[in-house]
Amino acid sequence: MSYGGSFNPYAQPGGGYSPPPGAFPPQNAQMNQQAQQWFAMVDRDRSGKINAAELKAALVNGRGQQFSDNACKLMISMFDNDASGTIDMFEFEKLYNYINQWLQVFKTYDQDGSGHIEESELTQAFTQMGFRFTPEFINFLVKKSDPQTQKEISVDQFIVLCVQIQRFTEAFRQRDTQQNGTITIAFEDFLSVAIGCSY
Amino acid sequence: MAYQQGAMPDQSFLWDVFQRVDKDRSGQISADELQMALSNGTWSAFNPETVRLMIGMFDRENRGTVSFQDFEALWKYVTDWQNCFRSFDRDNSGNIDKQELNTALSTFGYRLSDQLVGVLIRKFDRFGQGTILFDDFIQCCIALYTLTAAFRQHDTDMDGVITIQYEQFLSMVFSLKI
Repeated sequence: MSYGGSFNPYAQPGGGYSPPPGAFPPQNAQMNQQAQQWFAMVDRDRSGKINAAELKAALVNGRGQQFSDNACKLMISMFDNDASGTIDMFEFEKLYNYINQWLQVFKTYDQDGSGHIEESELTQAFTQMGFRFTPEFINFLVKKSDPQTQKEISVDQFIVLCVQIQRFTEAFRQRDTQQNGTITIAFEDFLSVAIGCSY
Repeated sequence: MAYQQGAMPDQSFLWDVFQRVDKDRSGQISADELQMALSNGTWSAFNPETVRLMIGMFDRENRGTVSFQDFEALWKYVTDWQNCFRSFDRDNSGNIDKQELNTALSTFGYRLSDQLVGVLIRKFDRFGQGTILFDDFIQCCIALYTLTAAFRQHDTDMDGVITIQYEQFLSMVFSLKI
């Protein structure tokens, strides 16, 4: 795939950007019982709050490894409304639903049930989320996410990747006033997007 | 200052340090071993991201560990950073505040707005104190360096403004890490 002059790389038929499923979890009035039990388990020091380290200790990806520091920090920060670095029980419930929705998404694309996503599966995932990337770019993302084997992505890496792509795409779109897939950006603005939008 | 700038410690001293860091006596230093050996001046654990980055830089055999040969270069790298950090930590507080970071960055040749320096502090301050520790300072400087290099590649006329396409933009902002 190449960039044509009028080609809008993030356009999709019938609708612009669709956030990945679960990007904005619905607010539930009632506290989910499972989420409550989970909270009690994750909150090891019984502070009534969960931090990234506690979350990390509770989550395991398909390789049997704990979620990465980055993934946990990112997820806490998304639901941590008072910027305390911790989330309370109500914020946790939203996070709990969020993670579950991501797990569902991940399973849909992990067609061979290997517990991780390969390049072809990732390509399909992005297409269905409305992103159109070149094979080279997807290959770059896989290598970046998985420096060791360079061919597969675990669920925590997948979440971080999708959230990051979403944020950076939004930042790009805001600057792409002509809607032609090209922006003109100054150094300092570039730095603040690159640093400010990452976790 | 504990280290003389530029002076390399002798082999036997380094070997001694290496053996102390190599807790499992494997002849290789792993990220965990390195993390335990490094101090950021507080009792908190050394930034795992910085450790990973440093192992990655000096691990010539791509094993995720560092041999004694690589360790020498790694040691020099860490002490150079330490000297750099101390020279900017004017009040010897063991951390760098916004003012000190601003001075450090302009010494490196950056002219950044107050606002962006604030973004940097918020991003790299792992403990919400409004200051940056040694390990996070390394992280911050490497991030800036990486992003600047990516930007410069596109800024052929050196006017500080670039025009880029969507995937190019994403590759650049993803040059940090995922």
